[in-house]
Amino acid sequence: MTDNANPRRRGAFKFAFWAVVAAAVMILTVRSYMSGQMAEWFYHRAAASGFAVNADTFKDATKANPATLQVTTGNEINGLVAIRVAKGDRLPRNTNGVIADTTVTKGRRAVLNGSTLQVMIPWEMKDAKGFKFKDTFKHKNIETWPWSGVWNVVIVALLGISLGLMAEGFTDMLGFKLEKIQHRATQR
Amino acid sequence: MFDFMIAGVQAPIFLLVFVGFTVGIVGGFIGVGGGYMVTPALIVFGFPGYMASGIDMTHIAGKGLVSTLRHRQLGNIDWTLALTMVAGTMLGVELGVRTLVYFKNLGIAGIVLLVTSVVVMFSLFLYTQIETRRSHRALDVMKKEGRQIGRELHTSGLPKFFQSINLAPIVRCRTARVVVSMWVIVLVGVVTGFLAGFLGVGGGFIRVPALVYLVGASTHIAVGTDLVEIVFSGGYGALRHSIEGHVDMMAVVFMISGALFGAQIGSIATSYVRGPAIRYVLSYSLILATFGAVMRLLYVLTGQKVEWLSLVAVMLTLGEMIFLCLFICSLLYFAWRNKRGDWVPDWVKPLVMS
Repeated sequence: MTDNANPRRRGAFKFAFWAVVAAAVMILTVRSYMSGQMAEWFYHRAAASGFAVNADTFKDATKANPATLQVTTGNEINGLVAIRVAKGDRLPRNTNGVIADTTVTKGRRAVLNGSTLQVMIPWEMKDAKGFKFKDTFKHKNIETWPWSGVWNVVIVALLGISLGLMAEGFTDMLGFKLEKIQHRATQR
Repeated sequence: MFDFMIAGVQAPIFLLVFVGFTVGIVGGFIGVGGGYMVTPALIVFGFPGYMASGIDMTHIAGKGLVSTLRHRQLGNIDWTLALTMVAGTMLGVELGVRTLVYFKNLGIAGIVLLVTSVVVMFSLFLYTQIETRRSHRALDVMKKEGRQIGRELHTSGLPKFFQSINLAPIVRCRTARVVVSMWVIVLVGVVTGFLAGFLGVGGGFIRVPALVYLVGASTHIAVGTDLVEIVFSGGYGALRHSIEGHVDMMAVVFMISGALFGAQIGSIATSYVRGPAIRYVLSYSLILATFGAVMRLLYVLTGQKVEWLSLVAVMLTLGEMIFLCLFICSLLYFAWRNKRGDWVPDWVKPLVMS
């Protein structure tokens, strides 16, 4: 084996090792996402008192044809159902938003009729940095589990490092020479 | 199509990978996070505005790491400069955010933000463009005279002034070969951090020219060092956005996958060009972003009734990514041809390494 082969072999090991790490991090992320674990962390607690709902179930409602949600109790939302929650309560499964009491009291977008909640305006157009987007009841008045933020940052850092070092290993393996630039004093 | 259950959006995976890839190229080459391009793109794909910012910021932290590792290999990072500036940047960002909240309470945040964006970006474009053209001409003359040309040349007199400020402690940045007062570096961090925090961006497009024209670092060092800042500010932003529930991690993963390849191309491309080439790309990115901001400003000033202004703003922002990528790739192609001794246009010769 020649001397030139050593850096290339080291590069191959480096590439293989970090590729395995990157793949493991990706698999962990995808599994955690697909299993609903991340969604549970995301929709963790109620940030306001109101009705826990799954906003996807009534996204097509209109003023003329409002969606009627049955107000009930339980630990899971299935279909057109709303569950009463107080601020700080753990959210039932499948919840992705809370319609706050203040919104219901105003009666413009949603109104309470006995044991049913009628939603007339499920979304509105809003503006962010000069760009319009559809603002729904989704994500409204929910609190994310704070440690999931740390988890996200750790995953992103691990992904960045492993993918970066994997790419370094790849170019080393191919024998693609990237030498340090000697920065001389700027000429004027 | 992938169902992003947290964002509540269905979007094609390849589009996210593509955005990550293109912004990776641009970010790796000019040392920016590219938030001003990614956020509008995500909104166009249907992501809610607040989530677009969160996904963007989180992906910037990961992409920044990928680019930083490659720039570290190329020797483009001055750690003394980067770490000295971090504290100033963080203080500046906090001041910027508080100022933004003040204007929000007055109810004029939108207009003030867009006007400031336009003024800052256009001023930076103008100065960078004029100075880079001067450097380009000087390089051309030196090349014709057969003189040895280094990797960097800039003609601004500002670094001399800032380096002459004799306020202890004086910092010796060995990689950048710059000796300057620590307070100058901290001040640059505070000012650029303030603008970044106020405008709600990573701030690379402000920090790179500031490092070149105020501190006196070479463009390559400015790019690599700024990426370190982006990793810190992006990481902090990612944490804040994640806690607020503004991040869909699958979108981030797809974008980082694309950025992996883009960031390699962008970062490695810097080793084939001279400083002014990077500054040209930076200045074009600034003017295109300025046009986009002007369109959005006009849209807001006309009471958000003239829809085509908003559409043009989106088209400009998306077109910018493609244009800059093509510009960088063509520079890389010409550098490769130049190295082989093949024909390249005359204007390219002083900009690429031979």
